[in-house]
Amino acid sequence: MTREAPLILLVDDDPDFLDMTSHVLEAAGYRVATAPDPPTALDLLGRETPCLVVTDLMMTGLDSGFSLARQIKTDPRFRGLPVIVATAIASRLGLDFAPRTGDDLSAMHADAFLEKPVLPADLLAAVHRLLARRPEGEKP
Amino acid sequence: MSDPVRILVVDDELGMREGCRRILADEGYEVETAADGLAGLELFRERGNFTAALVDLKMPRMGGLELVERIHELDPDALILVVTAYATIDTAVEATKRGAYGYIPKPFTPDELLLPVRNGLERRALSLEARRLREERQNRLLEVAFERSKCNTVIHCMTDGVIVVNRDGQVVLRNNAAARMLPECAALPLPAPLEQLACAPLTGLVTEALHATSLPLIVSREIALDQCTYMANASPVFEPGGDILGAVAVLRDITALKKLEIAKSMFVSMVAHEIKSPLAAIEGYLNVILSGVGGNDPQRDRKMLERSLLRARALRGMVADLLNLTAMETGDFVIKRAPLDLGEAVTAAAEACRERAEAKHIELKLQGADRAGAPVLADRAALVSIFTNLIDNAIKYTPENGHVAVEVEPNGMYAKVAVKDDGIGMAPEEKERAFDEFYRAKNAQTAHVPGTGLGLTIVKRLVEIHQGRVTLDTAPGKGSTFTVRLPVVKPDEAH
Repeated sequence: MTREAPLILLVDDDPDFLDMTSHVLEAAGYRVATAPDPPTALDLLGRETPCLVVTDLMMTGLDSGFSLARQIKTDPRFRGLPVIVATAIASRLGLDFAPRTGDDLSAMHADAFLEKPVLPADLLAAVHRLLARRPEGEKP
Repeated sequence: MSDPVRILVVDDELGMREGCRRILADEGYEVETAADGLAGLELFRERGNFTAALVDLKMPRMGGLELVERIHELDPDALILVVTAYATIDTAVEATKRGAYGYIPKPFTPDELLLPVRNGLERRALSLEARRLREERQNRLLEVAFERSKCNTVIHCMTDGVIVVNRDGQVVLRNNAAARMLPECAALPLPAPLEQLACAPLTGLVTEALHATSLPLIVSREIALDQCTYMANASPVFEPGGDILGAVAVLRDITALKKLEIAKSMFVSMVAHEIKSPLAAIEGYLNVILSGVGGNDPQRDRKMLERSLLRARALRGMVADLLNLTAMETGDFVIKRAPLDLGEAVTAAAEACRERAEAKHIELKLQGADRAGAPVLADRAALVSIFTNLIDNAIKYTPENGHVAVEVEPNGMYAKVAVKDDGIGMAPEEKERAFDEFYRAKNAQTAHVPGTGLGLTIVKRLVEIHQGRVTLDTAPGKGSTFTVRLPVVKPDEAH
């Protein structure tokens, strides 16, 4: 009995990031869905059931990645869905987005934070760690 | 002392006149004589520089009393002595009332004449000196008052705010600018405690200056109040003896400078972000290929390398654009203007874009390039850059099999070029920001459109350098039309 490979949703307005990250995740045995912006991502979340979301931070808005994460985390339909925030800008205009503690992370509604360019090994490590934390039966 | 004392002797007896002349001349006085009152008055009036007059009482034509009165009128400072044989208390009192200083009874010895003359002259000198001092003092006071009011006027007219505090921390002076800057300040009756200005940073600064111990000492701080930022400098004010008298604070409005500074650092962060994104993509691809995590499928790897190259090229293009923009801003951008045919430049731009249009099966149509009208005074390279940018832009945001039309037409004082497409168009908020640096419309349709976000900014700057105007007409799904208007050379300017 073959089980379908787990689906990961990538959200980024940079097509190259979607492209390269897809290669890494697909080679590691995941299925990948991509969205260029948060509305498309939310639309996709309503139809598909990914087990993890990787989102860019700055898309249409300065912190649209955070608001997408917040919407996912506060929507009962997506309870327990892990979110990784990745961005090229750790600090912009003096705002330091890089979290230092677990509290910072939960305030961002993100489970992990990665700085671009993301090393493939780091990405896979974060994905494996978050998915391992998640009991099988809790899939949405 | 340096000026000789001149004395007028008026007497109708020749012996009297000559006797007086001799006695007085021996003492070094200059003497003139007159034989009656009227002649004496004439002489006094004409010469006008007598210090003293000896006047006989009983004379023909004009009596001594009247002469005393008239001389006193002419010069209240003149020393007048009455000389008479008819010495009575009454006449003496009368003469004194009319301005005489004293009274010499006839006959007299030389000393009896000289003594009252000397005394009188001495008294006169003293009173003149006293008056001079009094006047001098008065003038000095006036001068000080004037200087002070001049100083006040200058302080009140200063554009910088000035606040002076005495050593007890009481505000004793504020100028008009300070009253405008500090909302609590204008209505405050002075002196008032510094704290009542309700500006804690300023209070702190001035207090620091008050407790300063050595010179030169200036404490400076930026103070944000309302929407404004001020640079505040405070320094202690010392007495000539060295004791501290108080402190003076000067507030300068640096709001505009501050805004510029913020705009500049915003621009730098934006540039950094725009550079970091493609670099992150290139590095990301290389990481995937080198780590082998992507599976190392040769065809895939090659595609990733091609994408990296594309991003690297775009980055280089953006750096070139940025350098051009900066050069335009600093005025280092070299523009060689000459009257030239706008149609020719537009044609060259369209030809440069033709290949990219054909790749997307877009019909690129050029109209009116052969009848552009009067020449425009412009730099050819700049013109080609303007229209290449606009046509490229139209091709980028128009789906395959779409249409791009470039229309050239003379329009009075201006030549008009419209670049029309039937592409995706822009929403009002996108239209508003279309010419901003690094702004790129971001949505599902534009995600794969490459670009630096600087093309339209450069177009706008270049058109403005040529005293022209660029406008945009667009709506989502209705395509976009960019219209450039450039002034044409008037017939008498062309050669």
